[in-house]
Amino acid sequence: MSELAIDIRNVVKRYDQHVAVSDLSLEVPRGSVYGLLGPNGAGKTTTIRMILNIIVPDSGSITLLGQSHRASGITDRIGYLPEERGLYKKMQVRRVLRFLAELKGVKRREADERIDAWLRRLDLKNGDRDWGLAKVDELSRGMQQKVQFIGTLVHDPDLVILDEPFSGLDPINAQALKDAIVELKSRGKTVIFSTHLMDNAERLCDSVCIIARGRKVLDGGVAEVRRAHSGRMVALAVEGEARHLVAPVLNDKRLVARVDDHNRYYELELAAGADAQEVLRCVVATGAAIQRFELVLPSLHQIFLERVGARGIEEGMTGHG
Amino acid sequence: MAKLWVVFSREYLERVRSKWFVFGTLLGPVFFLLVAGAPRLIGSRGGEGTREVARIEVIDATGAGLGARIVGALRERYPLSRTPTLTVVDSAGIGAAQDRAVLRVQREEIVGFLLLTPATVAGDSVRYEGRNANSYADVEAIRSTVRTQLLAQRMEGAGIDAQKVAAFSRFRLAMYTQRIGDKGRENANQLGQIFLGYAVALLLYMMIVIYGQAIMRSVLEEKTTRVAEVVVSSVNTDVLLAGKILGVGLVAITQVLSWVVLSIAAMRYGGHLVFGEEGRAAAVAAASGTAGAGPPMLGILSVGIPPVPLWAAVALFCCFVMGFIFYASLFAAVGAMVNSQEDVQQAATPVMLLLVSSVVFMGPIMANPGSAMARTMSMLPTSAPIIMPLRITLVPVPWFEVVGALSGVAAACAAAIWLSGRIYRVGLLMYGKKPSFAELARWIRYAR
Repeated sequence: MSELAIDIRNVVKRYDQHVAVSDLSLEVPRGSVYGLLGPNGAGKTTTIRMILNIIVPDSGSITLLGQSHRASGITDRIGYLPEERGLYKKMQVRRVLRFLAELKGVKRREADERIDAWLRRLDLKNGDRDWGLAKVDELSRGMQQKVQFIGTLVHDPDLVILDEPFSGLDPINAQALKDAIVELKSRGKTVIFSTHLMDNAERLCDSVCIIARGRKVLDGGVAEVRRAHSGRMVALAVEGEARHLVAPVLNDKRLVARVDDHNRYYELELAAGADAQEVLRCVVATGAAIQRFELVLPSLHQIFLERVGARGIEEGMTGHG
Repeated sequence: MAKLWVVFSREYLERVRSKWFVFGTLLGPVFFLLVAGAPRLIGSRGGEGTREVARIEVIDATGAGLGARIVGALRERYPLSRTPTLTVVDSAGIGAAQDRAVLRVQREEIVGFLLLTPATVAGDSVRYEGRNANSYADVEAIRSTVRTQLLAQRMEGAGIDAQKVAAFSRFRLAMYTQRIGDKGRENANQLGQIFLGYAVALLLYMMIVIYGQAIMRSVLEEKTTRVAEVVVSSVNTDVLLAGKILGVGLVAITQVLSWVVLSIAAMRYGGHLVFGEEGRAAAVAAASGTAGAGPPMLGILSVGIPPVPLWAAVALFCCFVMGFIFYASLFAAVGAMVNSQEDVQQAATPVMLLLVSSVVFMGPIMANPGSAMARTMSMLPTSAPIIMPLRITLVPVPWFEVVGALSGVAAACAAAIWLSGRIYRVGLLMYGKKPSFAELARWIRYAR
């Protein structure tokens, strides 16, 4: 059995004037939670659609759970929650879920049992009311999100692919989704999700891949990635009145490449060739009372800004894919 | 195959379960019964002219007594009607007599007036003005009366005895027709044949329009609710499209069959309300004679159903199935192209035009089913699914023409499925503005 849940090699997808995904290679280990990060329009959805064989890549290969992604029956082992979500509005909730389960090859009786368990678990069926018998459009938006989520997991997939799963979720459902991701991982399932919210990714993912403009910027385990970018970030806190004293140092482009002012402390990204000790000396020389000076691991957010840059986001936003 | 079945049964069951389907299925026969019975309920007898025909003024400016003859003939032919009046004038008085008659029509004393002039005696022309001047049956009844009486007068003028002429010209000639097919005489009556052809063609058209558009809306719904993406991640779009078309197609067949069964039942137990005892008996006999092979309206018509040979029934069925698949795939492509209910009707116009173009020619084709136009339309793949069944029921059609038409439709079907499958595949996940033709072409190229 292959150790990789997803193995993407040199995949290219080109539309007329623009390249949506350019020579992308990814390896997602089995049993991991994997984040596909990038600004809007970076090619995340295109990549996911290619994994699911909804779109065909122009070149390159995709292997899922050790099989070609076009192998028959492979999609039955995948659960997919698209970014654009929706259900048949006029259909009864149970029937929609049964339909989705049967499409994944689950037998009817078993589907009914699992649906029942899920409805209870997400409190859509309780002593008062069985929402499974209602039509989809009678449900609130939050309840519809739960139903959609059941539809993704009802066939107990080995690989779960979530496209921007946190967008549009209320806090309760977001928590339920987070719990479910953790539980899936504990049961040995692989979860891959795309997001442009770095905080979520940092908290949940074992590994990440950052893509921008259709290209891979970096990938690897979250801890490794952060370590690889360490030594370049400094957290600095000074007494309130001293803030103006350190300003000349912070604005010195030879020492500091970028400053992130968090109000209670600054986060500095050191300029290329600059040294943390030198920065410390300069700060001390200003006479400001230092409360904190610490080398920190950068957050994914910072790494993202450093590697992709504001320009990449801008361009990404106007892109097509 | 298992997934095809899942898609198919969802499409079928969700539709058959809906209130509107049940409603339409139950009310359909009532509607057909009323439409078929309307003429009798309203009380007109088609072809003979109404009783009002004789309530006219005859203005005789011939100076030859033709008016008196016509008044007599009308009185004899329509004994229940109010008697026609006769005004004899000379040629100078025609204008004044006409003005007076127009006033009488306006005051509703009479329905119209007939003006006989020397030109009438010469056999050239006669003039009728009245409220029913647009009624073909009434006008034809008057014309034939004038013609008969003019003929009688001329014969008398040639010295033939007036009594004998009256006796000779007083007859009603009924015309019986017999269709001859490849195997000689066929046991069929013309009126039933025409009704059958008309009903079959109209029913096919209705079903293709109603359920073709149902597919279009279903595709659009999957697109606008964004459910499409989840579904296509589990099932190939070709399978999805096929399941949809087969499921909805079977709904259409279910509906027609229910209509047939319910119509026969309605005729048996409620027919006398609309047709009276006699009509009911005739229709029940006729309907049960074909045991559901024909469409429901026929059961209702008291003209009786001509028997439909098995091969023709099979050909009809093939026409429906392939015609439906052809138009349904086109409608599905339209549904996948657009993003909103507002756009979809507009985008469906070309497909609707194709469909309607075959129906507008139904009249002329029924009048002359052997014409070159009828043959062409019944061979053209876009109109064949509707026009070929019409021709088959009206006249004997050589087998090779039927097979040719069916193969043409089959080829068109394959092309439509290929094209629509590609548009469907790409369009289903394309949100945003409506595609231009250039973009559509690109979609077709992109699809795998």
